[in-house]
Amino acid sequence: MNLSYLIRRLVAVLVVMAIVTVAVFAITNVLPGNAALMILGENATAQNLAALERQLGLDRPLLVQYFDWVSGVVRGDLGMSLRLGLPVAEVVGSAFINSMWLAGLALAAVTVISIPLGALAAIKRGTVYDTGIGVFSYVGTALPEFVTATLLLVLFASPANPIFPAGGFADPMEDFGLFLTHAALPVATLGLVLMAHISRQVRSEMSEVLSSDYVRAARIKGLSERRVIWRHTLPNSMAPAVAVISLDIGYLLGGIIVVEEIFAWPGLGRLLIYALQNRDLPVIQAITLVLAVVYALSNLISDLVIAKLDPRVRYG
Amino acid sequence: MGRILSTSNGVAGVILLTIVLTAALFGPWIAPYDPQLFHSQARLQGPSATHWLGTDQFGRDLLSRILNGAPSTVLFGMGATSLGVCAGTVIGVIAGVAGGRTDGVIMRILDGMLAMPELLFTLLIVTFLGGGTLQALLAVGVAFTPGMARIARSAVLSVRTREYVLAARARGESRSWIVLREVLPNAIGPIIVEATIRVSFAIMIGATLGFLGLGAQPPSTEWGLMVSEARQFMFRNPWGVIIPGIAIAMTAMGFNLFGDALRDAFDPKRSL
Amino acid sequence: MNFLTLKRRHVLMGLAATTALPSISFAQSGQPVSGGTLKISHSTRIATLNPLSLSGPAEYPCIDMLYSRLTRIGFDSQPHPDLAESWVASPDATEFTFTLRAGVTFHDGTPLTADDVVATYQAILNPDIPAAATSVLNMIDTVEALDELTVRFTLSSPFADLPFSTAHANACILSRSALDDLTGLETRVNGTGPFKLETYDSARIVRMVKNDNYFVRGRPYLDAVEMLLFPDLAAETANFLSGTTDVMLTVQQADFERIAGSPGIGGQRVNSGRYVCVVMRQDAEPWNDVRVRKALAKAVDRQLLVDILLEGLGRPAYDSIVAPELQYATDKPEIAYDPEGARALLAEAGYPDGISVTMVASDRPAIRSQTAIVMQQTAAAAGFNLDIQTMPHDTYLANVWRKGPFYIGYWGMQPTIDATYNLLLTSEAAYQDSEWKNEEFDALIQAGRSTTDEAERARIYAEAQTLELAETPYIVPFYEDVLTANRDNTNSWQVAPISRYFYIENVWLDS
Repeated sequence: MNLSYLIRRLVAVLVVMAIVTVAVFAITNVLPGNAALMILGENATAQNLAALERQLGLDRPLLVQYFDWVSGVVRGDLGMSLRLGLPVAEVVGSAFINSMWLAGLALAAVTVISIPLGALAAIKRGTVYDTGIGVFSYVGTALPEFVTATLLLVLFASPANPIFPAGGFADPMEDFGLFLTHAALPVATLGLVLMAHISRQVRSEMSEVLSSDYVRAARIKGLSERRVIWRHTLPNSMAPAVAVISLDIGYLLGGIIVVEEIFAWPGLGRLLIYALQNRDLPVIQAITLVLAVVYALSNLISDLVIAKLDPRVRYG
Repeated sequence: MGRILSTSNGVAGVILLTIVLTAALFGPWIAPYDPQLFHSQARLQGPSATHWLGTDQFGRDLLSRILNGAPSTVLFGMGATSLGVCAGTVIGVIAGVAGGRTDGVIMRILDGMLAMPELLFTLLIVTFLGGGTLQALLAVGVAFTPGMARIARSAVLSVRTREYVLAARARGESRSWIVLREVLPNAIGPIIVEATIRVSFAIMIGATLGFLGLGAQPPSTEWGLMVSEARQFMFRNPWGVIIPGIAIAMTAMGFNLFGDALRDAFDPKRSL
Repeated sequence: MNFLTLKRRHVLMGLAATTALPSISFAQSGQPVSGGTLKISHSTRIATLNPLSLSGPAEYPCIDMLYSRLTRIGFDSQPHPDLAESWVASPDATEFTFTLRAGVTFHDGTPLTADDVVATYQAILNPDIPAAATSVLNMIDTVEALDELTVRFTLSSPFADLPFSTAHANACILSRSALDDLTGLETRVNGTGPFKLETYDSARIVRMVKNDNYFVRGRPYLDAVEMLLFPDLAAETANFLSGTTDVMLTVQQADFERIAGSPGIGGQRVNSGRYVCVVMRQDAEPWNDVRVRKALAKAVDRQLLVDILLEGLGRPAYDSIVAPELQYATDKPEIAYDPEGARALLAEAGYPDGISVTMVASDRPAIRSQTAIVMQQTAAAAGFNLDIQTMPHDTYLANVWRKGPFYIGYWGMQPTIDATYNLLLTSEAAYQDSEWKNEEFDALIQAGRSTTDEAERARIYAEAQTLELAETPYIVPFYEDVLTANRDNTNSWQVAPISRYFYIENVWLDS
């Protein structure tokens, strides 16, 4: 792992960011209607519309609007939300933090649960545990998030059975306990598919390692089973699990869109849908930028971690 | 096929797929009622003798609506995936066969497209196209293309150096002949496996888009849309959301399991 | 109509007298007490607090609490004094003089003067400033301050309903200095209303606190009001039922029975003139033929729509956009669901085999596409083959609204017949989309607004409504009720049929 590789990867991230912003800008401007029309809704007389477009700067040529935005970003100014009248940085920033809480909790819960689960399945290969976990992971990957979310709501948040609140958000800084009850169902929804992926991956990798010569040698040497698993098998099985986790970041970033919408969680996903519906271009740009960067950076970090864990991997 | 049926995954997959494909092929004809007909006296009912799966908020029979939505759901999944597979395979084969600069450029572009999370990408495209079943299909197809291209490319790359290809080149066969007769047939395996598994993702994404209001539009019987419309009445009649949800899950699982069994059949060295 | 008071009403004097509120039953347990924080849940975002141009359903309660207007529509759908203590009109209804209350201050302590009123109306009438109230105030020629507390409006044409227009929800009075910073209006508030803005987080909460210097003595009772956003209906309902919130601003028809029947909760159902309409563009076939329009009118099962879509919480309507509650509204004859009659009419109009058309419905609010779906079913028997096309609201606004030939519209209730007709049906209407342009109708509406003689106005508007029914420019299948709910500890919570006026300063909580 050398510096030049790292630099090349970071440059690639910047290039991707640039392409994404141009693409999003182009797409949103081809869409019918603009932010002014969405703000006024069916109150939009031609006169009101023109006045608002002037006020929002939407009557300027497209290139001017784009470069204006880019020069702002470079200076650290993400502009003003057209629909909400607030600085984009503020709006997107707080949404980002809320989404990170959700994603972070989901990843943490999943890692803690599914690595042992996958290991268990590999160790107890062919038994009921193994089959059970196999079935669970198949069902998990076949349920779209909105189905899982709706089923969880019907089971755990109906008025007849209100174990958890049916969505909404509480500030973790103010009341962490309440925050957790609100986060329980969305985290469970996001986590289900992740758990399925990761436990499957851990299981498959561990199975291979367990039947490898390396482990056979350790067993012949007389090492205890526990030692074989903890010291020799698990660390070598982790690399693909990390790879899957990083792939799942991509899934997570897509999944939060639906989950946040259903559970009314004020994160990036909800904000993006709102911004798309209202043609709030500066917000759309900022969110796609953030998501692309997070995705690219997480890929980079996971590549680095894999290299650390698995000495066979070399990057040049 | 024998090998597929030898694993429990395979058997389960084949069973599920048979159910789903039967519904898809014959659904609209075996449905007991007109899926759009209102039975206004029997709204939001659970399963009963007259309506085996219950009714929705307009009094429409759920069983009929599910059966009616089966062909479009399955066709959506297969259509979007085929689109992605065709486009992706063409691009991937070109990249793999051409090599060098062309390959490099194509890979950069694919990496750029893959830098965006799939659902987000699909969401942007479908918003751009304006929502609707066809637009959603196109969007999912386009979103699948880079991934399929990569698979096709690596399949081609691994075949390129095999003996039969080298032999054909030594014989002086033309490029396109080699591609068509030697490379493609051997590379097709991984592509088909990936495609089958992707059909299940396409169905799930299509249902999600329908749920978000960006895919199929009312009064379509698309299953994701059915869940979205029934959500408002979720606590009055949970069957309205449970039944289409199960239908989606069964279909996605069927294709998933079948694809996995296919992969095992193609490559018996892989142990799971 | 009391003819003894006609003479006084000729000059349209409004007096600062208490007026009787219509009897909507609400639990009243004893004397009002001060204190407490009222929590109101809503499901649409409060995207802005700029009163000039906002239009969101949850934004109106906010500006009703933060700002005041010259006049204000009450629960009886009549204008009452707000910042204006009284007003006098010239006999020909071209000059109105409003006298302001003395001693009113803005939240920052500066006094309200006639100059602020003038500045506000100049801003509303300014073509470079987007303002929703312009369409009902565009007959104003000049606004001038005669002295510190007197404002005179001179109109370019007679308009008897000006006090209704000055009560327009978006005609809030702003201070001259606030108008210098239009962008600031979106997030900052300096009004004269019963509550002051404390917190504005559009993603979650808007919190307002008591204005101790409100010009109505002894009001508001509440210490604070919080507007809490729950974009998911299930979450909003669950939180309301569990006691986290005190009021649910809007209740969906599907949940009303369940919510209203829950212990400790009272539901309210107010007849309103909010309607869905079927827009048929009449400058082209087939809708230019009145027989085709009338055939479609017979192909709609209005009672079924009320039963299935509104769960009975509404009233069937018979193709007039005028709400039955409005002054001068006439009774409309029932139009039955008659597929045979419709078929016959279609055949007469030259379509013996029926018609196939595409109907567009936006997905917001959902009742549009639901109406389309039901219509598709009922109209099929009548020879209308409707192909429903639903689309996201943003696409509809950009591509279909006021451009498409056949789609579903959705409008709230206006306070007067004049406002209702001028919104859509006159030839120069602000949102004309049917291309139904009838000179006789225009003349009637013009005459109706130019006189203050009530008997004359009644006659004119009756004729206009008859004309509307004869021509069927729109199909209006039902009027929706306004639905809201509150916990039993919340007293005097009410929503006006026009659902933009809430009088939250009268609400109090049990201690």
